[in-house]
Amino acid sequence: MISHIVLVTGLFLILIGLWGLLTHRNILRIIISFSLMGTGTHIVTVAIGYVRNGTAPIIDRTLDVSEAASHVVDPIPSALVVTAIVIGMAVTAVMLAFAVRLYDSKKTLSIDAFTDSKW
Amino acid sequence: MIHRLLVAVVVASFGLVFASLVVGYTEQSSLRPLAESYVRLVPHELGAPNVITGILLTYRGFDTLGEVAVLFMVAASVGLVLGTRRARRSASAKDRPDETRSSSEVVRTAAEILVPLICIFAAYIIMNGHLSAGGGFQGGAVIASGVLLMLLAFPQYQPNLDFLSITESVAGAIFVLAGIAGLIMAGGFLDNRILPLGQFGAFFSAGAIPLLSVCLGIKVGCELSVILERFRPQKL
Amino acid sequence: MMELVGSIMVLLGAVFHFSAGLGMLRMPDAYTRMQAGTKASTLGNTLILLGLAIYHPGWGLKLLIIIFFVLMTNPISSHALARAAHGIRIPMAGQTGIDALRDARRKPGDSS
Repeated sequence: MISHIVLVTGLFLILIGLWGLLTHRNILRIIISFSLMGTGTHIVTVAIGYVRNGTAPIIDRTLDVSEAASHVVDPIPSALVVTAIVIGMAVTAVMLAFAVRLYDSKKTLSIDAFTDSKW
Repeated sequence: MIHRLLVAVVVASFGLVFASLVVGYTEQSSLRPLAESYVRLVPHELGAPNVITGILLTYRGFDTLGEVAVLFMVAASVGLVLGTRRARRSASAKDRPDETRSSSEVVRTAAEILVPLICIFAAYIIMNGHLSAGGGFQGGAVIASGVLLMLLAFPQYQPNLDFLSITESVAGAIFVLAGIAGLIMAGGFLDNRILPLGQFGAFFSAGAIPLLSVCLGIKVGCELSVILERFRPQKL
Repeated sequence: MMELVGSIMVLLGAVFHFSAGLGMLRMPDAYTRMQAGTKASTLGNTLILLGLAIYHPGWGLKLLIIIFFVLMTNPISSHALARAAHGIRIPMAGQTGIDALRDARRKPGDSS
């Protein structure tokens, strides 16, 4: 039940990010929508790894080594998401760098100003 | 009007695909075989209580090296895109934002209290990566947030870019050298048994994983700090 | 009994978070939006963490430290944002009466 709620939340975030991406005209709002879609994807990936009545895959005084294999959630999606979050932040930095250069050239943040093609 | 209709159709069709995913999803009641073998092997072979860090730095260590390469590429591309920005010129004094503005006293005081705490917290996260939740990537991001606070509170603060790039190169080189030492002295590339495994749960345990965590944290922190430094406005 | 009190406080905190989001949508200009977002969500955070501390009394000290950090950082970040917004001259809503920061920054003899 828990993972169903989290899964639906993550997919809903992806849908909201997609709608914002296609609708807004301001570059910064489009970048925020990208970041929102990324967050939604991370939530979905972690939600899929849930095991019923499982706990975090860290062995300390509350979780013994011998019973670990039957009481923990899947560690692999969490490991993938750890790096994905940092890479997502770095990609947002690249997008913002592009936004800064675009603003320098046309003095406006609306993407309607950049309609001229190269040919 | 037609544009909004198209947007609604696209979002609705994605919504239908996601709804079919949710309907077909059932919770697992036991771990899949690969995950179960990881959970069994990491405390036994690697001596690390934190299964996720063990996977990230040993079994999937090559992917971590690839992520580090992606971060380096991102830092280089931000430097390329923003490096040739000319200084702002504006027509009249009314357009130009107030350049004699210094940061407020509230932010300066808060930075004086918070930045040491942030640095200690980042060091704690990095060093405890193999014992409890944490690791190199998370600690590196916290270091970068401390640098960001310094940049906001003290506008004259100039992080030494040469020192940062030399530090991150050395950290990356130590990471790869530790991997090659794993080839020579232990089972394979990035095997963590080049250093003694030690007692399970102690601070100096789990072989080379603390060393790799520290190198990863330093590299990620310096990378993100360099990216943040590039966004400052150029001086006239 | 303690669990009931803790759960009610967590629910109150969620209500305050929701009102923060609603305020950010409905407020007229950037400054009032920042105020709505920061104040309501800081209180929501504090209530949720206090409710959790009542639910699990063993975690009380750690949660109090987290509340302290949230109280230190949230208002400062919104203060820095609002100052920056004023610095690049984002327009205020029509009903604004007094602009104290502009009066404080105005140097004597300035024509603007």
